[in-house]
Formats: sequence, C-alpha cells, structure tokens
Amino acid sequence: MIRNKKTKDEIIRYSLSRRKFLGLTAAGAGAAALATSGFDKLQAYAAEHGQVVKTTIENGEIYSLCEMCVWRCGLVAKVRDGKITKLEGNPNHPHSRGKLCPRGQAGLGVTYDRDRLKWPLIRAGKRGEGKFYKVTWDEALDYVAERMLHIKEKYGPQAMIFSTTHNMLQQQFENLLGAFGSPNYGTQRSLCFNAMITANMLTYGFEEPGRDYNNTSYIIYAGRNMMEAISNSETQDLVEALSKGAKVVVLDPRFSKTAARATEWLPIRPGGDLAFFLAMIHDIIKNNLYDKEFVAAHTFGFDKLKQEVEKYTPEWAEAQCDVPAATIRRIAHEFAVASPRAFAHPNWRTSNFVNSFQTQRAIAVLNAIIGNWDKLGGQCPVFGEGEGVELGRVPQPPYPRTAALRLDGVPWKHPLVPLKLGIFQNIRDAILSGKPYQAHGWFIYRQNPLNSIPERRKTLQAFAKMDFIATIDVIMNDTAYYSDVVLPEATYLERFDPLAVVEGDVYIRQPAIEPLFDSKPGLWIFKELGKRLGLGDFFNYKDEEDYLRAQLKPLPVSLEELKKKGRYAPPKEGDKEKAVGIFHTSTGKIELASTVLERLGHKSVPHWQEPPRPGDNEFYLLTGKVALHTQFFTQNNEYLSDLFPENPVWINSRAAQERGIKNGDKVIVESRVGKV
Amino acid sequence: MAQKRFAFVIEIERCIDCKACMVACTVENNVPVGHHRNWVKQIGPKGTFPILGMSFEPGNCMHCENPPCERVCPTGATYRRDDGLVMIEQDKCIGCKYCIEACPYDARYFNEKTGTTDKCTACVHRIYNGEEPACVATCIGDARHFGDINDPNSNVSRLLATNDYYRVYEEAGTSPAIYYIFKGGRKA
Ligand code: SF4
Ligand code: SF4
Ligand code: SF4
Repeated sequence: MIRNKKTKDEIIRYSLSRRKFLGLTAAGAGAAALATSGFDKLQAYAAEHGQVVKTTIENGEIYSLCEMCVWRCGLVAKVRDGKITKLEGNPNHPHSRGKLCPRGQAGLGVTYDRDRLKWPLIRAGKRGEGKFYKVTWDEALDYVAERMLHIKEKYGPQAMIFSTTHNMLQQQFENLLGAFGSPNYGTQRSLCFNAMITANMLTYGFEEPGRDYNNTSYIIYAGRNMMEAISNSETQDLVEALSKGAKVVVLDPRFSKTAARATEWLPIRPGGDLAFFLAMIHDIIKNNLYDKEFVAAHTFGFDKLKQEVEKYTPEWAEAQCDVPAATIRRIAHEFAVASPRAFAHPNWRTSNFVNSFQTQRAIAVLNAIIGNWDKLGGQCPVFGEGEGVELGRVPQPPYPRTAALRLDGVPWKHPLVPLKLGIFQNIRDAILSGKPYQAHGWFIYRQNPLNSIPERRKTLQAFAKMDFIATIDVIMNDTAYYSDVVLPEATYLERFDPLAVVEGDVYIRQPAIEPLFDSKPGLWIFKELGKRLGLGDFFNYKDEEDYLRAQLKPLPVSLEELKKKGRYAPPKEGDKEKAVGIFHTSTGKIELASTVLERLGHKSVPHWQEPPRPGDNEFYLLTGKVALHTQFFTQNNEYLSDLFPENPVWINSRAAQERGIKNGDKVIVESRVGKV
Repeated sequence: MAQKRFAFVIEIERCIDCKACMVACTVENNVPVGHHRNWVKQIGPKGTFPILGMSFEPGNCMHCENPPCERVCPTGATYRRDDGLVMIEQDKCIGCKYCIEACPYDARYFNEKTGTTDKCTACVHRIYNGEEPACVATCIGDARHFGDINDPNSNVSRLLATNDYYRVYEEAGTSPAIYYIFKGGRKA
C-alpha cells in the first residue's frame, strides 16, 4: 500500500493478457458489445462511466503531424461532428507527399482506443498486480513531486533516472531532467542507431548523410528493410528509383519484402556484412576503380586503409559471409562503374550487432572512395533534425551543475560514445549493481523499457530496486503496468507539441479534437510537475499556445496563420550550404583513417571483427520490422492488429524440416536470458 | 463530353504490400474491423533459393462491365451505373448473399451490423469531390491508380496506352475494370 488517504476511491483493474496484449478485464457488456468501430466502443465505455466523449471542434480539416512512428509525416485530419473521421497525408509536407503509411492511416485507433488511459492512476495493490486508484491530476502530480523531491533530498538528484524515446516533446523532457539536475538519461538512441551515427561522425563529421534517390542508379542495403520498416518518403523514393531502373541490392539473412522487390537479394550470415563491405573496398582499390581525384582532395588516411584491406579478398569474405566471392567481385565492379550515382545505405539493423561499428565505418568509407559525396545520385549533405530555422525560446535560467558521474559510463568509461546518445542498457546494469551509486527512482515518458531493452527479466529486477516509478503514456503498456503512478497523456491528435523544423520549414502538431477523458498534453504535464518540483522558472509559459508563440517570436508568422496552413516556409537564402570539402572532422576531410580512434588507441581504419557463431542446435535470433506495426506501441491498435495479429518466428526451411517443424506450428525459442 | 468509364489501373511492380490501402479503406468507409473491401494478394515466394521471387497483387471490386453479382441480385439492389461503377443500394439489399457467391473475385462481404452486403464503391463520395479513392490517395508505392478510361488524357488512359496489361479471370466474361500492369521485372 503506497497511499493511505482514501478508501472510497474507484479502483481500476488492468490485466496483461497474452493475446490481446492489454485489455481492461471488466470488458463492458451491453452497448460496448454491439459497437463495431473504435469510437463507438469508446463512447459506450464512457457512457458506462458517466462520461461523454465530446469535443469542441465541430467540423474542419486540421493540419498536423503523424506520431505513429518517428518520421513525422504531415497529415490532414478530417473532423465531422466533433469526431475525427479520417486522416490523409498532407501533400505539402516532404515526408508524406499526400500519403500516410498503414500505421499513419490507423492513427484514429490510438485516439479512439477503448483501452487508452483515461485518468491519472496511483498504484493500489502490489507492483504488477494491475490495481490502481483513479485520482485527480492534483493528487497525482503532488504525489509524484513529493516522491521525486524525497529522493532528491535523501540521495541527490542523480538518484532519479529519466527516460524517454524519440518524440517531439523530447526536448521539453530533457528540460525537466536538466532542471532537476540528474545526469541519468536513457533514450532509444543506444538501442537503435548509436553505431551508425558514431561511425558517420568519425568519418564525415555528420550524423547521417542524405541520399539522392532521384538520380541514383545503384543502391546497396544491408539491414534496412525499407519496404516494411517504412519511412514514408524514403520508401516512396525507393519504389520510384526501382521503377526508373536503378539496381537495388539487398543483403539480408531474411527474404524480406524489400529483398523480394529488390533487383538482387544476397542472403548473408548475420554480422557478415562487414566482411562483404571490406572485400568490396579491397576489390575496388585493387582494381583501381576508386575516385582518385576525390580521394586525394577530400579524404585522409587512404594508404592506411589500402594496407589494411589488402588481406580482405573476396575469397576470404566468402568464408565469413556466405556470399560467393565471384558475386562480391561482380557487385564491387557494378557499384564502382555506377559511381558516383551509387550509394551504400547506412541502414538501421547494421547498428545493433557486436561488430556494427566497424560495419558502419566500412560503409561510410566505401561511399567515400567512390567519390559519391554531393554528387547527383550519391550521398548529399542535408539539414540535421531541427536545423535550418532558428526558433525562439521560452526564457529560463541555466541548469544546475551536475557533479555526479553518469550511470551509463559515458564519457568516463566510454569516451567514444557521444554524450547525447548514451548507453541506456548500462543504466540498467548500474541499477542492478548499485555502482557507482544506487539509483532510486525512474521517471518514464512514453517509453516502454520493459519491452524495448533486451532481457526483460533484468529490467524487472531493476524495477524492483526502485523506490518509485512514474510513467506518462497514452496506453497501459507493460511498463506503465509496473509503475507506481501512471499519467495519461493526450494522444497526438489531441494536443500541441513544440514546433518541428523539417528541411528549413516549420510545421505544427495541433489538436484535431480536445483531449478525451482526463488526458492532458505533455507540455501541460511538464509545466505542472515542474511547478510542484520548485522548478517553475524552467517552465515559464502559460499554456501550450503560449509556448508555441515564444517559439515563433523571431519569425514573421503568427500562431493563427501557422495553425491554418500547418506549415510556414521562410524565404530561403540562396542554396543551402554546400558541404563539399567542409567536413567537421579534426582533419577537415573525410577520415578513412580516424584520427579520433587513433588518439584513443584504437585501430584507425575499418577492420574485421569476428561475430559470434551459434553452436550446435543454436540459431541467430534476428528481429525485423513489419509495415503494420511500430515497435511496441501499435499492438493494441484494432486496425493494425486485425491485419497483423501475431508475431511469427521464421526459421530456415532446412532446419525446420530437420526438426519436423511445419508452418503454423507452435515452437519454443530459448536462450540464456529467457524463453518464448 | 463522352460518358465516363471509371477503372483502376494497378502497377504490380510498385506494390510493396504495406496495406496502407486496406487500412485507409476501412477507416474511410467504416468497414467493420475484420472485414475488408480491398486486399493485397501475395504471389510467391517461388523459385529456388537464393533466386526467389515474390510479388503483390492489390485488388478490390473490379466494377465489371458484365457483373454476375448484378444478375443474381433478386431485388435490383446491385446495379451498374453509367459511369461504370457497380453499386449496392443498401436500402434494397435483403442480405440474401447470392451476390457474394456469384462474384468470382470474392470482392463482397456480409456486414453483420447492417444485415446487408457491402463492397468497394470506388469511394464514390470522394471522387466526385475532387479526391481520389482512399486506397489510391495513400498508396505508398504509387501502384494504385484510378480514373476515366474514356478520357484519353487521364492518368489511367496514358498508363494503358504505353504498357501491356492483364485482367483477372477474363475468361469468366465479366470484363473487369481493374487493369494490371506488369513490366516484366521480378515477379513470382
Ligand atoms: S511513416 Fe507512417 S507512421 Fe511514420 S510518420 Fe509517416 S505516416 Fe506516420
Ligand atoms: S468484382 Fe464481384 S462484386 Fe465487383 S462488380 Fe464484379 S462481380 Fe460484382
Ligand atoms: S498502399 Fe499501395 S503499395 Fe501499399 S499495399 Fe496497397 S497497393 Fe501496395
């Protein structure tokens, strides 16, 4: 019992059911059983609880931004009689071009999900029992503030961990943690693309170079399933490039839909991509197929690279990656001939394996030596996220200094990892070991660490060591279920978020309807919590619109205008900065041999790193993406789970035959860390 | 102006099987979850490892010129309009399901809530308002197209003028109004 104040509170029970993922146990009978659309079900549920689902906006078309994944496509929400009836892609947004992917189309399913969080909740039973008191916002926020301040006083601000994932409020969440004074921040970054970003930073001094699909004639993907892990505009670009005749080669152990639609699929051993790319570099250099002028003018460390890759012959690579040497030679030749209208994509899944950093470096270097930088059909300099327009800020004092070491070991143990990226997994280990100090509280904003950090058991153990866990989300996911306080945020179709800048233009996320039930926008929640933590100065805005007005202050556009069109495009000063010859590395060139790695005592050029191989009766367990789901937050969406209800395991057909496993059979997959 | 004749043209090789078209249709037309007015058929994988092929054939009601569904409808609820669209007048439908049996494309379903059959209407409420059908508007691969094949300048006419195409079950004599373009790339 963590709270003694009330006894007559309504207690709500949740259950984690396997098939439905999550559902209210007290399934509404009567009206709810007859209702067929999500909205009807929600309305029926509301009626049973003496609530009315109502909105103030009656009719119209509202320009806003999708949040079904991180691509943030522009959308147009059609509202009829206070109800969102349909979402369309905004034709004037570069990420959507008038189209939404299946998840984006299913966005209504989030807002009108009968299982969405409706009221602030405080745990009533044991952790993980699923019993919560329904409370008011005042009660919930007072309680969260009290617990956080208690931890701060007793153990210092560093004892509170904050974590969130990629979203438009991430900056404001970081504001909360900065103001609170904790250095411990866990994000999606280390679970996703650390290796890719770090490798590109060390090679080009850019996080991720852009790619010119419009003019390309050759693309190599390794671990980027572009047709199922949809990044709307980039996926559209790929289909268009293919139809214009570009050759697309896909390295993937799985026959994904991208592999199916590509020109050539090369099934490859997991982790073998590194050998493949090293052999390509070997072959291109050996046959003098690289761009000598470009290499001489814009790169650093070519001789070292040449020396290192000497031994990486295609024959050697074949033994590591299972792609025939002759094929590697042919692809290297084709790629070099197609250059500079060719690129090897930096990918995603080549960022998660033990040798991924070297793989990413090899890809970056391969692109560099064919001289595709800032060439038609090759790689191109692009604006980073949020770059291109200087937005205004809400005035606030500087953050308090944080003296404590970071629990993730960055940079004191891991100097190469960019501060911004961090290593989330290490925070969990530090909680378990209590070293260098013990953390006591965890504040989670729309993230699901129980599901998203591998080895759930460990995360549960880490949770058990916490005195206090608070979660803000839109649905009772696994993490919220194990929390002490759960705060219901308004869904993305019901709230303002800080402005988004894309390719030098400003876009707005704005409510299509008022928040349903007692859910509140994140900007409001952070402000109210900040106030109660004695950090009101850091949240110096009246309300969400006031915050956006401050952001718009330097620009000649009013919030009202922006709301109407959804977009503000400031006049562009000439061409965007051409980056040829300007690389933000210490040599100012593309570093084939990295000076930073050298300085830190590592080998400076990409080199082979042997990935582990499975033993007898063992397999690699790979995860992939499907077009109908985004990570762990779409499984309760009725439109999406209707079309993709289960997450089947794929197994090599020969291995399956040997074990007498047939399609549709149930199997148990076991590893050192667990069993499903 | 010549009489309109609406048709779908689908470029097989551009479909990535994302099913945005199916979700869009469900939401746009309030199709009960679990039923669908449109589909994406997977063809394959075929071939011998590692040279495998797989492609995707999106579809929906073919708005046949000779619709068997219309012939079997006892009440005249199903009818063909002058613009080529085959429609169901919901008020007249008695839910006998003959049309569901008669359709060679399996394009119809029975809506338990309304007690009538339902199928693709080519989003007729959108197309006369300057919008494309929901599935076409959001097609990520730009595989689905819709327009008037009697207008030589329409996008569909131009696609048909410059490409080979096939139609499904032509032998049934239905003369379907979905034209599939396949250029000869990888298809299972
Ligand atoms: S890619 Fe899909 S889910 Fe992601 S923002 Fe765009 S429409 Fe939404
Ligand atoms: S596809 Fe089926 S439902 Fe559509 S018109 Fe032809 S026969 Fe009728
Ligand atoms: S939206 Fe287009 S690309 Fe996606 S499945 Fe449908 S037809 Fe294919």
